[in-house]
Amino acid sequence: MGRQPKGETDKVHDRIGVLRADRGVSRKDLAEAVGVHPQTIGYVERGEYSPSLALALRIARYFDLPVEAVFSLEPLPSLSQELLRRTS
Amino acid sequence: MSSHPARTHLARTFEDERYAWARNRPVRRRAVVGEAALLSALVAATVVAAATGSGWTTWFFIAWMVGMLSFIPLHSVLNLGIRGVLDRDGRSLDEHQRRLGERSHRAVGWPSTALTFAAFTGAVTVVAVTGHVTLALCLGFLLWFTGGLMTYWHLAWTSPEEPADVDG
Repeated sequence: MGRQPKGETDKVHDRIGVLRADRGVSRKDLAEAVGVHPQTIGYVERGEYSPSLALALRIARYFDLPVEAVFSLEPLPSLSQELLRRTS
Repeated sequence: MSSHPARTHLARTFEDERYAWARNRPVRRRAVVGEAALLSALVAATVVAAATGSGWTTWFFIAWMVGMLSFIPLHSVLNLGIRGVLDRDGRSLDEHQRRLGERSHRAVGWPSTALTFAAFTGAVTVVAVTGHVTLALCLGFLLWFTGGLMTYWHLAWTSPEEPADVDG
Protein backbone atom coordinates (compact mmCIF):
# COMPACT_ATOMS: atom_id res chain seq x y z
CA MET A 1 0.00 0.00 0.00
CA GLY A 2 1.15 3.56 -0.65
CA ARG A 3 1.85 6.17 1.97
CA GLN A 4 2.14 9.85 2.68
CA PRO A 5 5.66 11.14 1.96
CA LYS A 6 7.55 12.09 5.13
CA GLY A 7 9.72 14.71 3.43
CA GLU A 8 10.93 16.15 0.16
CA THR A 9 13.43 13.28 -0.36
CA ASP A 10 10.63 10.77 0.15
CA LYS A 11 8.34 12.41 -2.38
CA VAL A 12 7.31 10.67 -5.60
CA HIS A 13 7.06 13.11 -8.50
CA ASP A 14 4.69 12.41 -11.35
CA ARG A 15 3.37 13.65 -14.68
CA ILE A 16 -0.20 12.54 -14.23
CA GLY A 17 -1.63 16.06 -14.52
CA VAL A 18 0.26 16.78 -17.74
CA LEU A 19 -0.63 13.40 -19.23
CA ARG A 20 -4.30 13.84 -18.33
CA ALA A 21 -4.36 17.26 -19.96
CA ASP A 22 -2.56 15.92 -23.03
CA ARG A 23 -4.94 12.99 -23.45
CA GLY A 24 -8.05 14.90 -22.35
CA VAL A 25 -8.70 12.51 -19.48
CA SER A 26 -10.52 13.66 -16.36
CA ARG A 27 -9.48 12.57 -12.87
CA LYS A 28 -12.72 10.68 -12.62
CA ASP A 29 -12.02 8.73 -15.83
CA LEU A 30 -8.51 7.87 -14.72
CA ALA A 31 -9.67 6.96 -11.21
CA GLU A 32 -12.33 4.62 -12.56
CA ALA A 33 -9.86 2.99 -14.92
CA VAL A 34 -7.29 2.29 -12.22
CA GLY A 35 -9.74 1.46 -9.41
CA VAL A 36 -9.36 4.34 -6.96
CA HIS A 37 -11.39 7.38 -5.97
CA PRO A 38 -10.87 10.63 -7.94
CA GLN A 39 -9.58 12.46 -4.87
CA THR A 40 -6.82 9.87 -4.51
CA ILE A 41 -5.59 10.77 -8.00
CA GLY A 42 -5.64 14.39 -6.81
CA TYR A 43 -3.53 13.55 -3.75
CA VAL A 44 -1.02 11.69 -5.96
CA GLU A 45 -0.86 14.63 -8.40
CA ARG A 46 -0.27 17.05 -5.51
CA GLY A 47 2.53 14.85 -4.17
CA GLU A 48 0.66 14.30 -0.90
CA TYR A 49 0.36 10.58 -1.41
CA SER A 50 2.90 8.14 -2.79
CA PRO A 51 0.96 5.43 -4.61
CA SER A 52 1.56 1.74 -4.11
CA LEU A 53 3.61 0.01 -6.77
CA ALA A 54 0.47 -1.67 -8.09
CA LEU A 55 -1.35 1.65 -8.47
CA ALA A 56 1.67 3.30 -10.09
CA LEU A 57 1.90 0.44 -12.60
CA ARG A 58 -1.82 0.62 -13.36
CA ILE A 59 -1.60 4.37 -13.96
CA ALA A 60 1.43 3.91 -16.25
CA ARG A 61 -0.36 1.11 -18.12
CA TYR A 62 -3.43 3.34 -18.56
CA PHE A 63 -1.26 5.94 -20.31
CA ASP A 64 0.58 3.18 -22.18
CA LEU A 65 3.90 4.45 -20.88
CA PRO A 66 6.71 2.89 -18.84
CA VAL A 67 6.29 3.62 -15.14
CA GLU A 68 9.50 5.70 -15.02
CA ALA A 69 8.00 8.06 -17.62
CA VAL A 70 5.12 8.83 -15.26
CA PHE A 71 6.75 8.61 -11.80
CA SER A 72 10.17 9.58 -10.55
CA LEU A 73 11.98 10.13 -7.26
CA GLU A 74 13.61 13.20 -8.86
CA PRO A 75 11.60 16.22 -10.01
CA LEU A 76 10.52 15.49 -13.58
CA PRO A 77 11.53 18.00 -16.28
CA SER A 78 8.65 19.57 -18.14
CA LEU A 79 7.67 17.91 -21.40
CA SER A 80 8.73 21.00 -23.40
CA GLN A 81 12.21 20.83 -21.84
CA GLU A 82 12.34 17.13 -22.62
CA LEU A 83 11.38 17.75 -26.27
CA LEU A 84 13.93 20.53 -26.57
CA ARG A 85 16.65 18.28 -25.17
CA ARG A 86 15.78 15.51 -27.64
CA THR A 87 15.60 17.75 -30.70
CA SER A 88 18.74 19.78 -30.00
CA MET B 1 -5.48 -2.73 -4.15
CA SER B 2 -6.29 -4.35 -7.44
CA SER B 3 -10.06 -4.21 -7.73
CA HIS B 4 -12.38 -1.30 -8.35
CA PRO B 5 -13.94 0.10 -5.17
CA ALA B 6 -17.37 -1.52 -4.79
CA ARG B 7 -20.30 0.86 -5.12
CA THR B 8 -22.49 0.01 -2.16
CA HIS B 9 -25.50 2.16 -1.26
CA LEU B 10 -23.65 3.45 1.82
CA ALA B 11 -20.56 4.22 -0.27
CA ARG B 12 -22.67 6.14 -2.81
CA THR B 13 -24.15 8.24 -0.02
CA PHE B 14 -20.74 9.11 1.39
CA GLU B 15 -19.43 9.92 -2.09
CA ASP B 16 -22.44 12.10 -2.95
CA GLU B 17 -21.27 15.55 -4.02
CA ARG B 18 -24.26 17.16 -2.29
CA TYR B 19 -22.30 16.65 0.93
CA ALA B 20 -19.04 18.17 -0.35
CA TRP B 21 -19.53 21.06 2.10
CA ALA B 22 -19.05 18.64 5.01
CA ARG B 23 -15.60 17.62 3.70
CA ASN B 24 -14.04 21.04 4.20
CA ARG B 25 -11.48 20.97 6.99
CA PRO B 26 -13.14 23.76 9.09
CA VAL B 27 -16.49 21.93 8.99
CA ARG B 28 -14.87 18.62 9.98
CA ARG B 29 -12.99 20.25 12.83
CA ARG B 30 -16.08 22.06 14.09
CA ALA B 31 -17.92 18.74 14.15
CA VAL B 32 -15.09 17.21 16.20
CA VAL B 33 -15.13 20.11 18.66
CA GLY B 34 -18.93 19.89 18.86
CA GLU B 35 -18.91 16.17 19.64
CA ALA B 36 -16.11 16.53 22.19
CA ALA B 37 -17.95 19.41 23.90
CA LEU B 38 -21.23 17.50 23.90
CA LEU B 39 -19.73 14.38 25.42
CA SER B 40 -17.76 16.43 27.98
CA ALA B 41 -20.99 18.16 29.00
CA LEU B 42 -22.76 14.81 29.39
CA VAL B 43 -19.89 13.40 31.47
CA ALA B 44 -19.96 16.54 33.63
CA ALA B 45 -23.74 16.29 34.05
CA THR B 46 -23.41 12.63 35.05
CA VAL B 47 -20.67 13.37 37.59
CA VAL B 48 -22.67 16.29 39.02
CA ALA B 49 -25.80 14.16 39.30
CA ALA B 50 -23.83 11.45 41.08
CA ALA B 51 -21.95 13.87 43.33
CA THR B 52 -25.01 15.80 44.47
CA GLY B 53 -26.81 12.59 45.33
CA SER B 54 -29.77 13.57 43.16
CA GLY B 55 -29.43 10.40 41.10
CA TRP B 56 -31.59 9.74 38.02
CA THR B 57 -33.75 12.87 37.97
CA THR B 58 -36.01 14.34 35.31
CA TRP B 59 -33.50 17.07 34.43
CA PHE B 60 -30.77 14.49 34.01
CA PHE B 61 -33.00 12.34 31.80
CA ILE B 62 -33.84 15.38 29.64
CA ALA B 63 -30.15 16.40 29.45
CA TRP B 64 -29.22 12.84 28.42
CA MET B 65 -31.94 12.65 25.77
CA VAL B 66 -31.12 16.07 24.30
CA GLY B 67 -27.43 15.19 24.28
CA MET B 68 -27.90 11.84 22.59
CA LEU B 69 -30.35 13.22 20.01
CA SER B 70 -27.99 16.12 19.24
CA PHE B 71 -25.22 13.64 18.70
CA ILE B 72 -26.99 12.04 15.70
CA PRO B 73 -26.82 15.02 13.27
CA LEU B 74 -23.42 16.02 14.61
CA HIS B 75 -21.93 12.62 13.94
CA SER B 76 -23.65 12.43 10.56
CA VAL B 77 -21.88 15.62 9.50
CA LEU B 78 -18.56 14.35 10.85
CA ASN B 79 -18.96 11.01 9.09
CA LEU B 80 -19.88 12.69 5.81
CA GLY B 81 -16.76 14.82 6.24
CA ILE B 82 -14.54 11.75 6.32
CA ARG B 83 -16.56 9.94 3.62
CA GLY B 84 -17.50 7.27 6.16
CA VAL B 85 -14.07 5.73 5.78
CA LEU B 86 -14.32 3.99 9.17
CA ASP B 87 -17.83 2.60 8.63
CA ARG B 88 -17.85 1.48 5.01
CA ASP B 89 -17.19 -1.95 3.65
CA GLY B 90 -13.44 -2.25 3.03
CA ARG B 91 -14.13 -3.17 -0.60
CA SER B 92 -15.58 0.29 -1.21
CA LEU B 93 -12.36 1.98 -0.04
CA ASP B 94 -9.26 2.53 -2.09
CA GLU B 95 -5.69 2.22 -0.83
CA HIS B 96 -5.42 5.87 0.24
CA GLN B 97 -8.65 5.77 2.25
CA ARG B 98 -7.64 2.51 3.91
CA ARG B 99 -4.28 4.04 4.73
CA LEU B 100 -5.93 7.06 6.40
CA GLY B 101 -8.22 4.82 8.48
CA GLU B 102 -5.35 2.60 9.62
CA ARG B 103 -3.24 5.63 10.52
CA SER B 104 -6.01 7.02 12.74
CA HIS B 105 -6.61 3.63 14.39
CA ARG B 106 -2.90 3.44 15.23
CA ALA B 107 -2.67 7.04 16.41
CA VAL B 108 -5.42 6.76 19.02
CA GLY B 109 -4.72 3.20 20.14
CA TRP B 110 -3.36 4.06 23.58
CA PRO B 111 -5.71 6.96 24.44
CA SER B 112 -8.65 4.83 23.39
CA THR B 113 -7.53 1.93 25.56
CA ALA B 114 -6.97 4.34 28.47
CA LEU B 115 -10.53 5.68 28.10
CA THR B 116 -11.94 2.14 28.05
CA PHE B 117 -10.05 1.47 31.29
CA ALA B 118 -11.30 4.79 32.70
CA ALA B 119 -14.85 3.78 31.76
CA PHE B 120 -14.59 0.65 33.88
CA THR B 121 -12.83 2.27 36.83
CA GLY B 122 -15.07 5.35 36.68
CA ALA B 123 -18.23 3.25 36.76
CA VAL B 124 -16.92 1.13 39.65
CA THR B 125 -15.93 4.29 41.53
CA VAL B 126 -19.35 5.89 41.09
CA VAL B 127 -21.09 2.78 42.42
CA ALA B 128 -18.64 2.46 45.31
CA VAL B 129 -18.89 6.12 46.36
CA THR B 130 -22.50 7.04 45.58
CA GLY B 131 -24.34 3.75 45.07
CA HIS B 132 -25.98 5.05 41.85
CA VAL B 133 -25.78 2.08 39.49
CA THR B 134 -27.62 3.80 36.60
CA LEU B 135 -25.37 6.85 36.71
CA ALA B 136 -22.34 4.58 36.92
CA LEU B 137 -23.49 2.82 33.75
CA CYS B 138 -24.08 6.20 32.08
CA LEU B 139 -20.57 7.38 32.96
CA GLY B 140 -19.01 4.10 31.88
CA PHE B 141 -20.91 4.18 28.60
CA LEU B 142 -19.92 7.79 27.87
CA LEU B 143 -16.22 7.16 28.49
CA TRP B 144 -16.23 3.91 26.50
CA PHE B 145 -18.15 5.65 23.69
CA THR B 146 -15.65 8.52 23.68
CA GLY B 147 -12.81 6.01 23.38
CA GLY B 148 -14.47 4.58 20.27
CA LEU B 149 -15.02 8.02 18.77
CA MET B 150 -11.40 9.08 19.06
CA THR B 151 -10.51 7.35 15.79
CA TYR B 152 -13.22 9.37 14.01
CA TRP B 153 -12.02 12.58 15.64
CA HIS B 154 -8.41 11.95 14.70
CA LEU B 155 -9.32 11.19 11.10
CA ALA B 156 -11.66 14.17 10.77
CA TRP B 157 -9.08 16.50 12.34
CA THR B 158 -6.03 15.32 10.40
CA SER B 159 -7.41 14.32 6.99
CA PRO B 160 -5.82 16.43 4.25
CA GLU B 161 -7.94 18.98 2.43
CA GLU B 162 -9.37 17.26 -0.61
CA PRO B 163 -8.26 18.44 -4.06
CA ALA B 164 -10.77 21.14 -4.92
CA ASP B 165 -10.38 20.88 -8.66
CA VAL B 166 -11.78 17.42 -9.25
CA ASP B 167 -12.93 17.66 -12.82
CA GLY B 168 -15.49 15.84 -14.86
